[in-house]
Amino acid sequence: MDLAFTPEEQQFREDIRAWVGANLPADIAHKVHNALHLTRDDMQRWAKILGKKGWLGHAWPKEFGGPGWNSVQKHLFEEECALAGAPRVVPFGPVMVAPVIMAFGNPEQQKRFLPGIASGDVWWSQGYSEPGSGSDLASVKCRAERQGNTFVVNGQKTWTTLGQYGEWIFCLVRTSTEGKPQTGISFLLIDMKSPGVTVRPIVLLDGEAEVNEVFFDNVVVPAENLIGEENKGWTYAKHLLSHERTNIADVNRAKRELERLKRIAKAEGVYDDVRFRDEIAKLEVDVVALEMMVLRVLAAEKSGKNSLDIAGLLKIRGSEIQQRYSELMMLAAGPFALPLIREAMEAGWQGDAAAGALGGFPGGSVANAPLASTYFNMRKTTIYGGSNEVQRNIVAQTVLS
Amino acid sequence: MDFDFSDDQVQLGDAVRKWVDKAYTFERRRAAEKAGGFDRAAWNELAELGLCGLYVPEDDGGLGMGPVEGMVVMEELGRGVVLEPLAQSLMASGVIAGYADAATKAAWLPKIASGEALVVLAYQERAARYQLDVCDAKATQAPGGYVINATKSVVPVGDQADAFIVPARINSQLALFLVERQSAGVSTRGYGMQDGSRAAEVSLKNAPATLITQDGLTALEHAVDIGIAATCAEAVGVMDKTMAITAEYLNTRKQFGVVISSFQALRHRAADMKMQLELARSMSYYASLKLNAPAPERRAAMARAKYQLGQSMRFVGQQAVQLHGGIGVTDEYIVSHYFKKLTQMEMTFGDSLHHLGEVSSRMQDTAGVFA
Repeated sequence: MDLAFTPEEQQFREDIRAWVGANLPADIAHKVHNALHLTRDDMQRWAKILGKKGWLGHAWPKEFGGPGWNSVQKHLFEEECALAGAPRVVPFGPVMVAPVIMAFGNPEQQKRFLPGIASGDVWWSQGYSEPGSGSDLASVKCRAERQGNTFVVNGQKTWTTLGQYGEWIFCLVRTSTEGKPQTGISFLLIDMKSPGVTVRPIVLLDGEAEVNEVFFDNVVVPAENLIGEENKGWTYAKHLLSHERTNIADVNRAKRELERLKRIAKAEGVYDDVRFRDEIAKLEVDVVALEMMVLRVLAAEKSGKNSLDIAGLLKIRGSEIQQRYSELMMLAAGPFALPLIREAMEAGWQGDAAAGALGGFPGGSVANAPLASTYFNMRKTTIYGGSNEVQRNIVAQTVLS
Repeated sequence: MDFDFSDDQVQLGDAVRKWVDKAYTFERRRAAEKAGGFDRAAWNELAELGLCGLYVPEDDGGLGMGPVEGMVVMEELGRGVVLEPLAQSLMASGVIAGYADAATKAAWLPKIASGEALVVLAYQERAARYQLDVCDAKATQAPGGYVINATKSVVPVGDQADAFIVPARINSQLALFLVERQSAGVSTRGYGMQDGSRAAEVSLKNAPATLITQDGLTALEHAVDIGIAATCAEAVGVMDKTMAITAEYLNTRKQFGVVISSFQALRHRAADMKMQLELARSMSYYASLKLNAPAPERRAAMARAKYQLGQSMRFVGQQAVQLHGGIGVTDEYIVSHYFKKLTQMEMTFGDSLHHLGEVSSRMQDTAGVFA
């Protein structure tokens, strides 16, 4: 047993830190550190910088052009990016669909799709959830009918994150209604510019259109866009979800946001209020305990000796912590978290000049502008990726079987 | 970054588990509790396994092992809710080996390792609660050493221990001493504790004492941190077994014609218990792996760990009783004994509120496993 990283891992961390420090645009880092509005261009700029270095698919094996890092190296890379204020990599391409294409796609599909994902040029979206299937994913109804060398797709996907930017979408579609629900699902890649695809934004409780409905009306998809075998999509989807869940703990971002919480609490004069400070202290222990859990999982992956049955716990705990820090930030600002001034969530806002001395953010600290919106937005974390209640069912299965 | 146990560590754990399963049955524990809460024969068996000398250097007759081995052993003892306080030997030998002079080491370490001497920490005073720097005990120089005047409370196995590690002030300076129970001026009153173990009030009236170190607070903090890491590991063992007992009960108990593990309310509670157990295990690793860190880093780590463990112990213990229903609140059934043990451990070496205060007052701008 050893808690320390090896000297090689330390050096690796230093190298990553130096590279991120030199290559992460300062304006983007500023936005991330202050939870200001990130544009599509901000996300794409960073993705392409990573892509050029070969690190957008940082978890990819060497044979597909990735760096071939082990679990600890991947973690160190993610941590250095998060602490420096890099935006989260939009995961749908490099983290979600790419591993499926690598594992189950044919060589033509790999050659066709992976380069655009690796470079950050093509924006991918996820077509899993439907109005009638949230956590019960096997109930998807969106229908794909085989007609010669094509599939004709009819139906609807929803909760498609950042789908308004999407160029391609990977979908779970129903190709058979026979047998168990899981057996009639296929995994299809669809060009979102195809005739019959309509994207309609859903405005969320924070006023932002972060997710979308995607409608398919007789959309013709070439059969060569089918991944693996027809009706085997559920297997591929499960493969993908296992990638989603280890990513979802997001402990590195939690460490960064804990620092930000302390800055806000100090600025708002509640850091030395014992009642408030103790709440931060509890969160600090929660973050350290989550980090230890993540490190246990990483070390187990790296050594390959023991498999741990705790990955499901990471999603539950990580999402609860995300909600908690956003909640405490809002509470720290108190009444000054409540004014809804959208322009103040944009970088470089100078206040309302016409209002003179009264034109700044109410209370004087523009850092408070996004806090309540972030709090509201974070309610999603215990719902998406398999709601925490579904996760508890999974955990219970390991405890009670 | 490696959380695998070595083959030797696995073997050590297996040996202790075998002893717990075979030799330390629930019936034997119950008999020991009835007889006062301490079984010297069981203590000697722990010594025969080498456990009393785990932290005693090999040259002094011990195994010369480290915190990870301590963790492995304590976790297994926790599984069996063993009453005999091995953590006390780890603390005593850690402090004597780390701070005492050669003569004191030579006189005590071999005897601790062999089990011949049970040496326990006698630090609790009425006014101190969980604070280590609050100490009224007075030490004054006397021919051949020091004498101490003090009253120490809730000293583990205080009326049967062979010697005490005692913090006392020389003028205003907190120092650490060793006092033999058989010495003149030492009187004790033993009693049972809520978890079935034994403790005592200890009165020292001009009791002769050997100085261990003038830097008493440093040594006392170190001793208590050894105790915290040991308690965290022991608690993981207790919770792990509690969890297993509860899962088995849920899978066998029938109500309304079905096993109660089919009810989602209970399944989710079991998942929440598993969460608390794994958070606790993670922080127990953290505590043991930080035990040899520089003092400020070590202290901060112990506060974080003990806070998490306290939260976990309370949740797992309370929910285990709840999920068992009526049988959970009986003395006859084992789970109530696990619950009481967990409760007592939360309140040993600082409860959750105390350690939350410690974490809170030590907070820095950045935080994490490595900061």
